[in-house]
Amino acid sequence: MRADRRFNLAGLGVFAALLLLWELYSRAGGVESYLPPPSAALKALTEPNVARALFGHLAGTLGRFLGGYLLAAALAVAAGVVLGYSRFAYSVSEVIIELLRPMPSVAIIPVAILCLGIGDAMMIAVTIYAAAWPILLNTIDGVRNLDRTLVDTGRTFGLGRVKILWQVALPAAAPYIATGLRVSLPIALILVTTSEMVAGVNGLGFFILDEERSLRPANMYAGIVVVALLGYALNRLFVAVEARALAWKRGLQAKGEA
Amino acid sequence: MPLLEVDALCKSYDGSAGAATLAIENISFNVERGEFVALVGPSGCGKTTLLMCIAGLAAPSGGRVAVKSQLVDRPPPDLVLVFQEYNRSLFAWRSVLGNVLFGLEAKGRGGKAADERARRLIGLVGLEGFERHYPWQLSGGMQQRVAIARALAYEPEVLLMDEPFGSVDAMTRLELEDALLAIWKELGTTILLVTHDIEEAIYLSDRVHVLARRPSRVVETVAIPLPRPRHQVTTRAEPSFMELRNRIYRRIADAG
Repeated sequence: MRADRRFNLAGLGVFAALLLLWELYSRAGGVESYLPPPSAALKALTEPNVARALFGHLAGTLGRFLGGYLLAAALAVAAGVVLGYSRFAYSVSEVIIELLRPMPSVAIIPVAILCLGIGDAMMIAVTIYAAAWPILLNTIDGVRNLDRTLVDTGRTFGLGRVKILWQVALPAAAPYIATGLRVSLPIALILVTTSEMVAGVNGLGFFILDEERSLRPANMYAGIVVVALLGYALNRLFVAVEARALAWKRGLQAKGEA
Repeated sequence: MPLLEVDALCKSYDGSAGAATLAIENISFNVERGEFVALVGPSGCGKTTLLMCIAGLAAPSGGRVAVKSQLVDRPPPDLVLVFQEYNRSLFAWRSVLGNVLFGLEAKGRGGKAADERARRLIGLVGLEGFERHYPWQLSGGMQQRVAIARALAYEPEVLLMDEPFGSVDAMTRLELEDALLAIWKELGTTILLVTHDIEEAIYLSDRVHVLARRPSRVVETVAIPLPRPRHQVTTRAEPSFMELRNRIYRRIADAG
């Protein structure tokens, strides 16, 4: 998981070589219509009107992503703490969880369109739905694995149930919650992009599909590059924040492995 | 009026076949304010169960526990338990200072005064300079010092200790015993300590309750008239120390 600080030269070389092959192949062959050379996609990115449009779509996608992801985090952590803490709460929801969890989340998009219509509310709702699962299940796990001694420590210091939840259970489960958040991050982006393709009027997903249908594959690839960079940047940001917030855990693990 | 009263305490567990297993049978003793009392007994004699009942973390099956004449039916506000497993009891996400501050926060103390008091306690347990360290960066003995400082920060009138030095090496154990005695002298906190180490019980305490195994009961109470301050070499070399040790050892062996 740890980011390698040195450049992976061999890996970058292979990537560059593949790009070059693609460039040469599409320039030589007659497949230009659906496989424009990478340089064409790059050129599209630098065209002012495309870049401006892409910026607007990027903002739309990012806004929906943040709304869906952050709400999913808040709801799933809260629900996960309750379900992890209370055997009763878990047993009454267990069947629903086990049935819905393995279902591909995109299947909920038509339901969301029926209930919420077409628009941001629908797209954020499906993002919350899909992103919530890993966070929920990991939070339940984390609270379940809470050491009895930690709870008793809180109790002997006179803490009530709510304070133990906040000051003991939640920080102790933080590494589990972080795992859920890390898994959910790309899932949330997938759902935002997909729902934009299905029912969006803007956003990178909408842009990519719209350019494809408008027979502008270079612009389509430009959109794909932007959404890929967005995913990459969000993941790097997450890893950096996590390393800071869970610095205590990293040391603990390093010691355990030594 | 004793600070802590344990009166006819019983604790049984439901066995797998529906038969109840008696872990503790009819234990009674008192602890006076400012006293240092040790409970000594063989492993598996229900010492931890007994402390959990006294700390209000487990409900007794019979009898009663009272702190300052108040019946214990939940963790009492004037009492803190220090667990044997310091590595499971410390908050891994809090620094040394953060862990000790927890004891003060639990009492509703905050701000600069709390910070100063926490630092003073960290110094008292000999961890000055380690305020910013996390528990995993410390040795076992140092971690238990943090746990003790955190407990003292809560300003309990009674400090319960469950084999606090059971998981550290022999040299560290002697150091921690002396550190504990120094703290006890300085703060005057009443201490009830459980151990399976007979010499440790004698060395530290004013009185030793000898427990027998299965079901656990007090078979004898031994007053320890050894003068204070005590010293790891000279105190342990005194003939009366040896006599006490042999007497308690025989008592435990006889009770089997």
